[in-house]
Amino acid sequence: MTNQIEIPFGADIEKSLDLAALPKLCLVVDDSKTIRRFTMQILESLNFIVAEAENGRDAVETCREVSPDLVLLDWNMPEMDGITCLRALRAMTLNPRPVIVMCTTENGMPKIREALECGADEYIMKPFDRDVLFDKLVQLELAERP
Amino acid sequence: MDDLLREFLTETAESLAVLDVELVRFERESSDATILGNIFRLMHTIKGTCGFLGLPRLGAVAHAGENVLGKFRDGELSVTPNAVTLILKAIDQIRVLLAEMESTGAEPAGSDEELISEINALATGAMPPAKAESPAFNDEGFPVAAELLAEVAEALKNEPAPAPQRIPAPEPKQPVAQKEATDPKEPALASSSIRVNVDTIENLMTLISELVLTRNQLLQLQRAQKGSEFKVPLQRLSHITSDLQDGVTRMRMQPIGNAWAKLPRIVRDLAVETGKKIDLLMQGAETELDRQVLEMIKDPLTHMVRNSADHGIEDGRTRASAGKPETGTITLDAYHESGHIFIRIADDGRGLDVDRIRKKAISNGLISETEIAGMSEQQVLQFIFRPGFSTAEKVTSVSGRGVGMDVVRTNIERIGGTIELNSVAGHGTTFLIKIPLTLAIVSALIVEVSGQRFAIPQLNVIELVGMSDSAGARIETINTSPVLRLRDRLLPLVSLRTLLGLEASAKAQDRFVIVAQVGATTFGIIVDRVFDTEEIVVKPLAPVLRGTRFYAGNTILGDGSVIMILDPTGVSVGAGQSDHEAQKNDAVNTLDGDQSSFLLFRAGSSELKAVPLELVARIESLKVASIEHVGGRRVVQYREKLMPLVPFDAMQEWKASGQQPVLVFSDRDRSMGLAVDEIVDIVRDRMAVELSGERAGLLGSAVIGGKAVDVVDIGYFLTQAFTDWFDGEEGKGTNRRALVVDDSPFYRNLIAPLLSAANWQVTTAADGAEALKLRDSGHQFDIIISDIEMPNLDGLALAGEIRGDARWQKTPLIALSSHAEEDDVDAGRAAGFDEYLPKSDQARLPDNLVRAIRAVTARNAEPLRRAS
Repeated sequence: MTNQIEIPFGADIEKSLDLAALPKLCLVVDDSKTIRRFTMQILESLNFIVAEAENGRDAVETCREVSPDLVLLDWNMPEMDGITCLRALRAMTLNPRPVIVMCTTENGMPKIREALECGADEYIMKPFDRDVLFDKLVQLELAERP
Repeated sequence: MDDLLREFLTETAESLAVLDVELVRFERESSDATILGNIFRLMHTIKGTCGFLGLPRLGAVAHAGENVLGKFRDGELSVTPNAVTLILKAIDQIRVLLAEMESTGAEPAGSDEELISEINALATGAMPPAKAESPAFNDEGFPVAAELLAEVAEALKNEPAPAPQRIPAPEPKQPVAQKEATDPKEPALASSSIRVNVDTIENLMTLISELVLTRNQLLQLQRAQKGSEFKVPLQRLSHITSDLQDGVTRMRMQPIGNAWAKLPRIVRDLAVETGKKIDLLMQGAETELDRQVLEMIKDPLTHMVRNSADHGIEDGRTRASAGKPETGTITLDAYHESGHIFIRIADDGRGLDVDRIRKKAISNGLISETEIAGMSEQQVLQFIFRPGFSTAEKVTSVSGRGVGMDVVRTNIERIGGTIELNSVAGHGTTFLIKIPLTLAIVSALIVEVSGQRFAIPQLNVIELVGMSDSAGARIETINTSPVLRLRDRLLPLVSLRTLLGLEASAKAQDRFVIVAQVGATTFGIIVDRVFDTEEIVVKPLAPVLRGTRFYAGNTILGDGSVIMILDPTGVSVGAGQSDHEAQKNDAVNTLDGDQSSFLLFRAGSSELKAVPLELVARIESLKVASIEHVGGRRVVQYREKLMPLVPFDAMQEWKASGQQPVLVFSDRDRSMGLAVDEIVDIVRDRMAVELSGERAGLLGSAVIGGKAVDVVDIGYFLTQAFTDWFDGEEGKGTNRRALVVDDSPFYRNLIAPLLSAANWQVTTAADGAEALKLRDSGHQFDIIISDIEMPNLDGLALAGEIRGDARWQKTPLIALSSHAEEDDVDAGRAAGFDEYLPKSDQARLPDNLVRAIRAVTARNAEPLRRAS
């Protein structure tokens, strides 16, 4: 406890906080731990704080606790798949309302349309790399080009 | 290696294990969409992850597999054994690639084009429909694939895919707070468990044994003080320590199902390959046991299940005609009972073929036809546990790969387990394995030898025998080995002191024999003292000690002293007795008194020949093929040396094939074998030899066991094998004279030929009085060898007489007695004997005698030369 210091808490502290400059919280949902790690590495390098979930049900629980700004949601998962999770998240009142990106290898139009109709903001094809993900985040105004 | 890649390897290995099990399930219940969904998803995830990591080769294989699974799911392709085999092949290939990646850190170069096009052909329906849709397993179905599969499976067995436990735990850096908060949710299989590195638990176990030790020390201190205020807290500490110990022991436990995970796949592959239908039932998979034990029984279990599937279960037609259901069943059953785990492996197949085992045992030279005829079926069955025994007529690609049931038994016994076998022809075979729950804490008997304490695992201890004189138990010597006559058995003994090269303890103590059992071998361990039985924590041996075979580990006792735990298996080797030899000795034992045992045999002619059994070191049956010719003589490699073989009769015909019975005679470092035609019997009788020098090699004749026999002069054959056997530096032809005084005709007849073979002229006398008569009649001798205990005038008195009279005063005197304790020897020397030899060491007697003679003659030669 020796490294704890007392900070005087003035009334003007609200002003000094630039909410927009705070790091964003992203929830990565995928049943592959490897993919989660991979994605987290990219996101952390982009100054995100990252939480993870290995299936849809975990994702719903985590969102209830931490309300992320962004959810990267895999489609094919055990327990609860991505599309069900998407519906559940959109049925919840979350503040802020998370941006949800479906990550999928399903490239048939009906699937993509289904996801968008259920409330997904964007979709991204797997596999992706740092550049592809970054482009997508810029497009969603969650990241800025330097 | 890249962290990400390591993670991928671990994760994928887990997925593959699930895939194996699920696929076999799916094959049975191909309508179950949930299982298929799960399978598809796992394969899909592997493929997907490969894309992220840039693993095109692995991704391609996974993609091909996923493609077929997708068609299963969409109903475009029917599920056939062949199709499932192909998917399994893909899984195996993924495993091979993973193993490669684990060792090199990169995806290996190359392509799996063949496999992929095969899978794609299946997916597009290019496969001949007859085969693809064939509903039953049959012999036609894909021999090449199955063979390949078996080989891959075998390769994988030897070089396991990255096992989760072997991957070091990821570095415990947790840079972000949120991440830490979500981490507990991570475990893939069950959210209520966490993965802990095995080393961590082992370290914990070590620390706890230190804690137990410290607690014990505290308790000892506290006991010394009356009314100490530490009493209550110490008691609590004691309880907590015990609970902690229990807890950590339980942490090491794993469900036995972990060792069974691969079995459904193995049985399934075998069923496809052999065209059988086999169900594998697994009960009690949740039964937990120590992970160390689990590792040790994994391979034996796999082997036995393979055996059951391959050799036990019959093909469908045979089963049907025997009135059994077409599908055979192998049942695995595990349960706890009284501190042990029992594992039952049962099949409802044809059972073991007792006749085949019998024939095989005989043809492999494990036993003779007459011996096996007297054995029960149960006894005959036990031969499958003997090294080098395999009954499979044809070696199939999956089972019958050299590991036999002997290896299985060895593995199980190494962890203190036992295996029983029961087989009923036509109804099946059952193995029952009993193993201890944990190896970390064992009950052990603490013993002391030469002031040092040792622990012997209680599991191996059958009984304790006190060796105080009143108990009547006596240690005797057969050949050169000490034995204990225990009830009706002769128990080979090993002296821990001799074995470990310890100093003899200063004070004479009551000795104990620990009767121990290792497998089928029972033997005794001679120790000085026996303490209590204690629960000890087994600590592994330091690497520097691992080469020793006598120790299984070490432990710390309550008083803080570190002691070694003996490994009974290693010690039994020190006893130098295999069970077979022990049985032989049962028949071979000698007894005190005038009676002696004789070995009766035939050689050269039909007349019975006899030789005192004491002189026979061993009876061997050598393979004729193992006999070699060196310089016109026959030799055989025996105990890592060349042993000359001498025929009893020069005209004797050597056997052309099969087994050659041989009597082995040994002294300390040399052996010779006397080739005979047939071993007839071993009888006990009084020896009354009528000496006759009719024929070289024969002492004379005697009536033994009511039959007239020729008594063989072993000395003659010894000199045939080694011309220098009895030679001293004196050379031959000096015609020295020896007097042998002994009331036992047996010993007179034993020693006389030995001496005459060394060119002595031998005169015998039955007691001291008779010897003195010879002196009175003016005989002179170069050496006198005398027994001590004799009627009329005993050896000590005789020596006194000899030394007190000028006529024989200078003659070297050698005592030969069955009592050779230090006191006896001192008394003998005081009476005037130059040398004192024990009779008990009969196998070395010839050698000892020759050396004693040399010693005393050399000693006496000095003053003589000076005098002349």
